[in-house]
Amino acid sequence: MMMANDIRPEPTPKTRERLLDVKGLTIEIETRNGPATIVDGIDLHVDKGETLGIVGESGCGKSLTMLSMMRLLPNKIRVTKGEANFAGRDLQKMSNSDLRKVRGGEVGFIFQDPMTSLNPVMRIGQQLAEPLIYHRGMSKAEARKRSGELLKLVGIPGAEDRLDAYPHELSGGMRQRVMIAIGLACNPQLLIADEPTTALDVTIQAQIVDLVKDLRDKLGMSVVWITHDLALIAGLVDRINVLYAGTVVEDAPVDALFANPSHPYTQGLLASIPKLTDERSTRLSSIGGTPPEPGRRPTGCPFAPRCPLAESICHERVPSLEGVSQGGAHRVACFVAQRKLEAA
Amino acid sequence: MSVVPMTSTPIEIEPPVSLWRDAWHRLRRNRLAVFGLAVAVILAFTALFGPYLTPYDFLSQDLNSRNLAPSLSHLFGTDDLGRDVFSRVIYGTRTAFLVAIVVTFIAVLIGVTLGALAGFFGGWLDRIVMWLTDMTMSIPNLLLVVVINASLKSPISMWMESRYLATLNPFYRETIWVDFLLVFGSMALISWPPYARLVRAQVLSIRSRPYITAAQALGLTNRIILMRYVVPNALGPLIVAVSAGLGTAMVLESAFSFLGVGVNPPTPSWGNMISDGLRVWQHYPHLLAAPAAVLGLASVAFSFLGDGLNDALNPRGAK
Ligand SMILES: Nc1ncnc2c1ncn2[C@@H]1O[C@H](COP(=O)(O)OP(=O)(O)OP(=O)(O)O)[C@@H](O)[C@H]1O
Ligand code: SF4
Ligand SMILES: [Mg+2]
Repeated sequence: MMMANDIRPEPTPKTRERLLDVKGLTIEIETRNGPATIVDGIDLHVDKGETLGIVGESGCGKSLTMLSMMRLLPNKIRVTKGEANFAGRDLQKMSNSDLRKVRGGEVGFIFQDPMTSLNPVMRIGQQLAEPLIYHRGMSKAEARKRSGELLKLVGIPGAEDRLDAYPHELSGGMRQRVMIAIGLACNPQLLIADEPTTALDVTIQAQIVDLVKDLRDKLGMSVVWITHDLALIAGLVDRINVLYAGTVVEDAPVDALFANPSHPYTQGLLASIPKLTDERSTRLSSIGGTPPEPGRRPTGCPFAPRCPLAESICHERVPSLEGVSQGGAHRVACFVAQRKLEAA
Repeated sequence: MSVVPMTSTPIEIEPPVSLWRDAWHRLRRNRLAVFGLAVAVILAFTALFGPYLTPYDFLSQDLNSRNLAPSLSHLFGTDDLGRDVFSRVIYGTRTAFLVAIVVTFIAVLIGVTLGALAGFFGGWLDRIVMWLTDMTMSIPNLLLVVVINASLKSPISMWMESRYLATLNPFYRETIWVDFLLVFGSMALISWPPYARLVRAQVLSIRSRPYITAAQALGLTNRIILMRYVVPNALGPLIVAVSAGLGTAMVLESAFSFLGVGVNPPTPSWGNMISDGLRVWQHYPHLLAAPAAVLGLASVAFSFLGDGLNDALNPRGAK
């Protein structure tokens, strides 16, 4: 029964179109002791108009997965296996010039750190205009006008006057909004937001989430939102993927995940939420231990060394991500959880 | 449940100021830098308009007024051939600036090109450039210059002479060009490695900054990223290095001329004036003091200016 899930059932009766489909993506880093796996054959997908939340501890490979799809990995880190299909084309095999059209034009990025992700010696307006001129063939004047509109769209007061500001003249929250505006500049089909609110305080975080929600509904795009903070995105996302050590350990519609978290790691994540509001720590206090370092992954389930429910099979075989409920839309990579849910 | 008050992220409403104007404001507040800038500007002005400023021809000898002490008619006195020292110091400024600017220009050109290529492309190109840099830096400057002078000066002079005899073009009579060629060439040859290292390090560090990845994620081409993201961000430290480098080049030119491997008499150079003055300083201290003081002033001024620019162009450190 456990193995009868090689074919993925479609999650909902509505005909849904895959926008992004990542299959078996493996990322390795060159170390002194040879290559070490950081992301191990990850599968991800995002449908048109869908918002996917990705959660997981720091260092589990969330950012690298997103960067690797767009072939933006730093030196010494590379994709060794797998494909990343966007609108039916494999980004890994695409020519550089085609890929440049996808980057910024069809896929917008919002980066983790607004303090260092803007060019310090270029005015905000120019940084916004750059993709518009390049992808949309706008004139400088048109691009400037549109840049002003974008800044207004993301709620920057005195938008037009801000075009001539340099990044260091803006506060963190304003810079984050500028980053969002840049990500949205070309009306992308997919927006990838990599922890866009970590640097901000709670009220601003909520504002940014609302803002992206608004824009998504207005522009009809798909969104991938990466975060540590499950509670923050509960109202924003349709579906959540929980990442652990470079693999998806649970994939579920947002309500199902909160109502019925199945993977022991997800349960730990949810248990630590009340503490998050107190001190906004990203440590998982309810789960002891640390995730495996790249190159030192256990042979069986990657979570086994920390798992309170681990059995002997967990140390021998790697559980695959399989549908357990919601017509297969709720999937989990855990032997114990799968057994329990099938019994129920 | 603690909620951080909203005021912790204020919306700053100061007027936008350009980064360069910002830097200028900071520079103006630094007294040493302003002093350095003022001296540099005065010296540059002197170098540029030297011929209109000199009260006497720097070559004209007046054997009736030799070794005069400073006076109103000869501000810095006269030397053992009765030449006006003030005029010669002014011409020395011309020499110093000419050499410093040309040498720094060549050195920056070589250094920036090699450094940027090494930093951007890495690999074997980087290894070759770094090896060249280390090689050049490990050869004692003076030795290299002496060797170049000794081995090239007479062949070039002889070639010039033969060209003159063949063409009768007076250009080939001007041995001063040989001097300058050798001085420029050998000094540029020893001056480029620091620029190459600086630019390489800059490019390496900038290349891994998040805003470069962000620019790539926008689909911008490598050319645009290099021109508008990498180079402008590397410019600040380079300007600082060039400013300090100009001063260093002046000192170097003087040092070589002092040792007789730089600009040769009768072309005035602070270095050969100091060398002449040193022989008689007990009797005529002004012959040593005047060029030495101006050289010292120039060196200090450019070093202050470089430091000031360093602070001024680093807005993140200052704010
Ligand atoms: N430039 C790099 N050089 C070396 N190792 C890296 C680099 N970037 C990431 N890593 C390693 O790859 C792993 C995954 O990193 P990644 O940035 O994808 O994590 P993340 O899930 O985004 O974490 P965070 O929540 O802190 O952003 C980490 O163990 C990290 O140490
Ligand atoms: S497979 Fe075993 S070790 Fe892994 S999470 Fe499930 S129970 Fe824990
Ligand atoms: Mg990250």
